Amino acid sequence: MNTPILQATGVRAGYQGCEVLQGISFDLHPGEVLGVIGPNGSGKSTLLKAVTGLLPLLGGKVQITGKDLSNLGFRERARICAVQPQVETPLFDYSVREFVLLGRHPHRPLLGRAGPADLQTVDAALVMTDLLPLASRSIRSLSTGEWQRSLLARALAQETPLLMLDEPAAHLDPGHGYDTHALLRKLSREKDRSVLCVSHDLNLSAEFCDRLILLSNGRLRALGTPAEVLQETLLQESFACSALRVTTNALTGNPNVVYAR
Amino acid sequence: MKSTTRFLFLMAATAGVVVASVCLGPTSLLDWWSLRELLGQGPSTPELERAALVLWELRLPRVLLAAAAGASLALGGLLLQAVFRNPLAEPYLLGLSSGGALGAVIALATGASSVIWPALAGSLVIASVVLLLCRRRIASDLPSLLLAGVALGALAQAFTTTIILRFDPGALRSILFWLMGSFAGRGWYEVSLLLPAAIIGLFVVWTFHRPLDLIALGGESAHHLGVRVVAVQIGSIILAAVLTALTVATCGTIGFVGLMAPHLARHIVGSTHGKSVPASVLAGIFLTVGSDLAARTILAGTELPVGVVTGAVGCVFFLALLTKKR
Repeated sequence: MNTPILQATGVRAGYQGCEVLQGISFDLHPGEVLGVIGPNGSGKSTLLKAVTGLLPLLGGKVQITGKDLSNLGFRERARICAVQPQVETPLFDYSVREFVLLGRHPHRPLLGRAGPADLQTVDAALVMTDLLPLASRSIRSLSTGEWQRSLLARALAQETPLLMLDEPAAHLDPGHGYDTHALLRKLSREKDRSVLCVSHDLNLSAEFCDRLILLSNGRLRALGTPAEVLQETLLQESFACSALRVTTNALTGNPNVVYAR
Repeated sequence: MKSTTRFLFLMAATAGVVVASVCLGPTSLLDWWSLRELLGQGPSTPELERAALVLWELRLPRVLLAAAAGASLALGGLLLQAVFRNPLAEPYLLGLSSGGALGAVIALATGASSVIWPALAGSLVIASVVLLLCRRRIASDLPSLLLAGVALGALAQAFTTTIILRFDPGALRSILFWLMGSFAGRGWYEVSLLLPAAIIGLFVVWTFHRPLDLIALGGESAHHLGVRVVAVQIGSIILAAVLTALTVATCGTIGFVGLMAPHLARHIVGSTHGKSVPASVLAGIFLTVGSDLAARTILAGTELPVGVVTGAVGCVFFLALLTKKR
C-alpha cells in the first residue's frame, strides 16, 4: 500500500502534569477520510494538537509525508496540512473574503498583493462552503454556524493534501452539517485529499468516514471501519450511556446510532 | 475602492495638520512664505532670518518629533492589540510609562543633565523584568504579561510619588509638565533619536502585517498557517516596548494616542493590517501633531502639556464610541 500521509506511532502528549494521550498509533492514507470519535475529554482535540505540533510530544513519533514533524519547517507544514480549529469568537472586523484569503498565507511571500490564482482559490472555497453571498460581510456579524463555515473555507483555501478538522459541524444546521461531511468525502475521492475529522455526530461519521478511531481516556479503544467500531456495547461503555443502540440505516446500509429510552 | 478613498482622506487630513502645525504659532510663518515668494529668495532681511530660525530650530523639529511620537505610539498600540488579541490593549500597559517616569524623576531629583537616558533606562528595565518574569508563560498565558506590567507599574509609581514628595515646589512644576508629556523645548537631538526608530519600526511592522493578521485572529490558527507565533509575539512586544520607551524618554507620557490611533485606523480602513498599519501611523501623527497645535494655540500666552489635550480628546472619543455601540 502507498506510504501514509500521516503516521502517528505511540503518541503521548498532554498539559502540565497531566498526560492526556497515552500512546496512540494510527496512520492516514492519501484519499482516506478518518473520523475520530469519543466522549468529552477523551483526548480528541489533544490528538489534533499533538499531530500538528501545537503541543510538544511527551513520547512517540509523528510523521507527515514520511518526514518527522519536528524536522518540518513552519511554512512547509502549513503547505501540507490545514487545520480547522474549534470556534473561537473573532475580535476584529475582517470581511469573510479577507479572512479566507489569509488561508493563502503559507503559499505567498510576506509582501505583495494576492495573485489571481490566490483569489480564484478563495472564490472556490467560498462556493464550496456556501459563503459567496456573505463574502463582503464582517466576520463579527456572522452567526456561529456561518463563522464555522468561514473557518472551513480558510482551511480549504490553504489547498493542502492533508486536512484536519475539529468538530467541523458542531454549530451547523443538519443541511450544512451534511454538506460539510459530503464535501470532505468528495475532496478525498476526487482530489485524493486525506481528511482527519473529529466529530460528535456518530451517524454522519458512519456515512462518510472510511475508518473511525474511538478514543476513550486518552487511549485508542477501537480502530476500523464504521461497522467495526460502532458496536453497541463498545459505544455504551465508552460514552457511559446505556441508552445508545446501534441499528442499520435502512437506506444506506450503514450503522445508525439511536437512543432507546 | 471605498476604503482606499478614505485612506486618501486620512492622508490629506494628516498632511494638512502637519503643514498647519509648521506654519501656525506665536510667530506665524504664513507671512514668511508669501514674503519669500515676493522677494524671490532675495536679499536677507531681519524678519526673514527670524522666520528661518523659528522654522529650523523650533517648528520643524517640534513637528517632526510630534509626528515620530504619534507614529511610534500608534505602532506600539497596534502591535500589542494584535498580539494580545485585545482591541483595548495599549502601549503603556507593560508598565512602560511608570518606568519612564521613575527614571525621569530620579534624574531630576539628582540633578542629572539629561532626562532622556534615565527615562529610557527606566522604561526598558520595567519591560525587561515583565518579559523575564513571564518568559515561560508567553506561549500559554499571554494575559499574565499584562498583569505583571500593571503590578510593576504600580510599584514604580509608588517610588515616583515618594521621590516627588521630597521635591521643592519649583521642581514640582517641571516634573508635572514632563509627566503630562510635551514637545516644547525639544530639538533635533530628540528627533534624531525617535524618528529613525519610528521609520524602522514602520518598515518592520509593515513586513509582518500578515502574520499579525493571523495572530490577531487566533494563535492556534496562526500556528496552523505557518506562523512562528511565539517568535512574532515576543518580537512585537520588544519592538512596541522600545518604540514606546523612546517616546516616553523624549516626549514624556502622552496618553491615549496608542489606544486611539489603531481604533481610528481600523474604523477608517478596516482591520486588515496591510491597511491598518499605514493608517494607524497616519492617525497617530494626526493626533499628536494636531494635539500639539491645539496645546500651544488654544490658550493665548500659555502652553498646555500635550497630554492634557490627548486626554481630553481621548475621553470624548471613547464616550462617542461607547454611545455608538449601544
